[in-house]
Amino acid sequence: MTVLPVGVMPPLPVAGPLAVAGLLLATGTRLPRRMPDVVAILVALAACVLCALMAMGSAHAPLVYWFGGWEPRHGLAIGIGFVVSPAGAWLGAFIALLFAATLLFAWGYFDAVHAHFHVLMLLFMAGMIGFCLTHDLFNLFVWFELMSVSAFALTGYALRTDALEGALNFTVVNTIGSYLILGGIGLIYLEVGALDFSALGRGVAAHPGDPAVAAAFALLASGLLTKGAQVPFHFWLSDAHAVAPSPVSVIFSGAMVSIGLYGVAVLDWTVFAGSAVVQHLVHTLLLGMGAASAAVGGVMALMQRHVKRLLAFSTISHAGILLVGLALSDGNGLSGMLVYLLGHGLVKGALFMVAGIMLASLGGIDELGLRGQGRRIWPAGLVMGFGGLLLAGMPVGLMDTGLERIELAMRDQHQIVVRVAVLTGMVCTGAAVLRVAGRVFVGWGPVSGEEECSPTDEEREKADRPLWLMMLPTVVLVALSLCGSHDADRIAWRAAALLMHPDGEAILGLATARPAVVAPWAAVPGSWLPWVATGLAVALSGLELFWHRLPRSLARGYDRASGPALGALGALHSGLVGDYVAWIAVGLALFVLA
Amino acid sequence: MPVGQALDHATSLLPWCVSAWLLGVGLYAILTSRHFVHLIGCLSVVQSSTYVLLLAAGYRKGAQAPIFYSHPPGIAVDPVLQALVLTDVVIGATVTALLLALVLQLHKRRGTLDPERLRPMRR
Amino acid sequence: MSPRVRVLLFALAVLCLAPAFAHVALHLPRFGAHPLPYGDAINAAGTRERHVTNMVSAVNFDYRGFDTLGEEFMLLGAVTGTATLLRGTRGERKEVPQQVPGRPVRARSDAVVLVARLMGTTTVLFGVYVALHAMTTPGGGFQGGVIVSSGLLLVFLAEGYRGWRRAMRSEILDACEGSGATLYALCGFASMLAGLPFLQNILPLGKVKDLFAGGLMLVENAGVAFAVAGGFAVLFLEFLEETRVEADGDDEEEKEA
Repeated sequence: MTVLPVGVMPPLPVAGPLAVAGLLLATGTRLPRRMPDVVAILVALAACVLCALMAMGSAHAPLVYWFGGWEPRHGLAIGIGFVVSPAGAWLGAFIALLFAATLLFAWGYFDAVHAHFHVLMLLFMAGMIGFCLTHDLFNLFVWFELMSVSAFALTGYALRTDALEGALNFTVVNTIGSYLILGGIGLIYLEVGALDFSALGRGVAAHPGDPAVAAAFALLASGLLTKGAQVPFHFWLSDAHAVAPSPVSVIFSGAMVSIGLYGVAVLDWTVFAGSAVVQHLVHTLLLGMGAASAAVGGVMALMQRHVKRLLAFSTISHAGILLVGLALSDGNGLSGMLVYLLGHGLVKGALFMVAGIMLASLGGIDELGLRGQGRRIWPAGLVMGFGGLLLAGMPVGLMDTGLERIELAMRDQHQIVVRVAVLTGMVCTGAAVLRVAGRVFVGWGPVSGEEECSPTDEEREKADRPLWLMMLPTVVLVALSLCGSHDADRIAWRAAALLMHPDGEAILGLATARPAVVAPWAAVPGSWLPWVATGLAVALSGLELFWHRLPRSLARGYDRASGPALGALGALHSGLVGDYVAWIAVGLALFVLA
Repeated sequence: MPVGQALDHATSLLPWCVSAWLLGVGLYAILTSRHFVHLIGCLSVVQSSTYVLLLAAGYRKGAQAPIFYSHPPGIAVDPVLQALVLTDVVIGATVTALLLALVLQLHKRRGTLDPERLRPMRR
Repeated sequence: MSPRVRVLLFALAVLCLAPAFAHVALHLPRFGAHPLPYGDAINAAGTRERHVTNMVSAVNFDYRGFDTLGEEFMLLGAVTGTATLLRGTRGERKEVPQQVPGRPVRARSDAVVLVARLMGTTTVLFGVYVALHAMTTPGGGFQGGVIVSSGLLLVFLAEGYRGWRRAMRSEILDACEGSGATLYALCGFASMLAGLPFLQNILPLGKVKDLFAGGLMLVENAGVAFAVAGGFAVLFLEFLEETRVEADGDDEEEKEA
């Protein structure tokens, strides 16, 4: 790849997919039947390669690219810049890879004319990569909105009643989130008069303790946390992820949610690093939100019988763990978050693919209704069981590596409550997935008599795809989540250090680049947490499956102890968009109270 | 403080108050809305608060429009924020179209557009 | 949550937010009197550097042209999504659908036809005029494109549904929309092929106050105008098409008749 110097690459993974999407739309009807599939996969792979090359090229100093050649004048950025750092570029590569796998998984799924699905997917991907690479607040918002708009349309794609309702809630709540971001942009522009991250960072540092800056952060963070599905902004997620077509859910849970949190991390370190109020908010409020999301998502996941909805709640829980890593505000937490983000995206993507396989091969997604029916697609069951163990924290692979770093940071800062919440999330989500694997693919658990009352309408996704074609990307994702965790940890350590100490003066052309300050990397000592979590998850899933074999009094006690509290928690997730909006207001109020 | 100065001070707070008010009533209307088409309208009200905020942030007293055709380049209001509002308008239009399409399909299937009577699955 | 509890919750949240808002509003800079370094820099340099007099267009298509690229494709995504959602059940119809059975046909009055024909033509012309004057006076591809497409909508009023359908072919509109947006992206790649950063001007800038000043911005503006006109026309087409789907009421009317 010496043909293309790394310095001209930054626009390509964003503008390339966009141009191809436009061409696909313009020529849609005249293309051969499988052409859009092939083109989309190739574009995703190309974007992945480009991002990976940029990530390697930016390991020592960020790649700075000014669109239209508008370089800053006397420290004033007058154009839009991309500043490619290893964290953003590796994230872009991961997103493109996930898209390639998903498009392969969806091969032949959407064969309607016009390639509309592929157009939307390419726009979705371009939006996400642009979001990771940009260095301009309004440009960030544009890519955020591009990915939102394509996501809204993709959610309702199936046109079932529940899909439309889920898509409506998703659109309304996320659009309010977008407007909050826009409000934040307006406020900070009013105060600082710039949009470039480095320029904003300088401006914020010049106004320490300014309430308008803190208000701008509250609005921006609320919008991004809505996308990142954190308590109490999380309600839309379970409605949307459960009903979107499975390939789309793969992207939603695997990347879209975590991207929102990455956005918070970037803003926190490059723009608001100089504001003590904001740093305090991050360290208290966001930490609490992350812990609450981890626990609430885990408990809610355990209560579901619709498998995709169950996985959606587990995404909330793991996104909470990501936010905890971010809010711990130290090198271990941030680098752990980056690795955990990749690992979780790969594993959760594979699990949603398994759910898609269930929908295609078994014609349903209801855990109770499908009891024992999954035996003939046992390879999918293996992946699901293994995925459950990984979610619970089994000490192999990327998820574990990331978690060990976050755990180290939590231990250093003596965050006992947060550790318990994170543990709850891991145990509950792991147990829920293991329970599904045991019930559907082995046939364990009692016949409850509720098999027929499935919570949704008849659901089935296009059935005539061969099992191996759907299994291939699934297995690839799980395999990727297992390898290279040592290298990933080292890379993330460096990437986190570069993210935490951006060289704003050099980016704005005010000073020559200073060498990056990277603390020496040291391996994390293993901890007991993964073992305990995995053990507890296996035990809990056993309890869920076999509680009828316990002595009668014990079983009743378990029921009575958990019933009312869980019922109330379930009732909060009402599916009413009005409720969700009230919670957004509450979330904003939390920023004031903290 | 002389009356004129106090009045001046109060009017200078007005744009922020209008923007916050639009946000507040928009959210209130959404959470009490009983019809999805009405709700989409309320979403536009929420969006209007961002228009007001952005345009007010780019305003400068006594300055001209940033179009230097009939008068020479000089002191003008901020063109950047006006360009951002243009993008904002496009976003509003696109999201409204999408929402209306969703609502139309939903009405065909359920025969009602009252959020209280439509609720996605609970479990 | 009952509606009353919900409103109560909201009221509590507002109660917390109100003093915070007051605190922030009092600390904000004075309205209309704060420094605007970014805008001033562009106002000062825009005409000299880009030979255009409309600074908003200079920001949209040049200084922050990359934003507009994303915005263009956002529109494309939303239109594609809306078309997908609306076409979902009925599919895309190539032939002009017949009259919905049982629905009365009302003749249009001659006055409406005359006014709509006159207005339609002038509106389209005005849209083109607005789009062409992007660089000099208030105007631009977005505004012009929207006006053109609303002029096209007047064809519906003037010629009735069948006439409208004969004039609007969805594949042509799709091509218009897709190629317009792609043209914008290709402008960026053209700069890169010339060895310059993405979207940097590669064409002669022209004379200040000339209709065709602005270089590459003109091509981008044309792309935007095509994409917006095509996109909104697709939206109108798909939503109007919905009126031709048999609704529940239609059958009943037929029975009554």
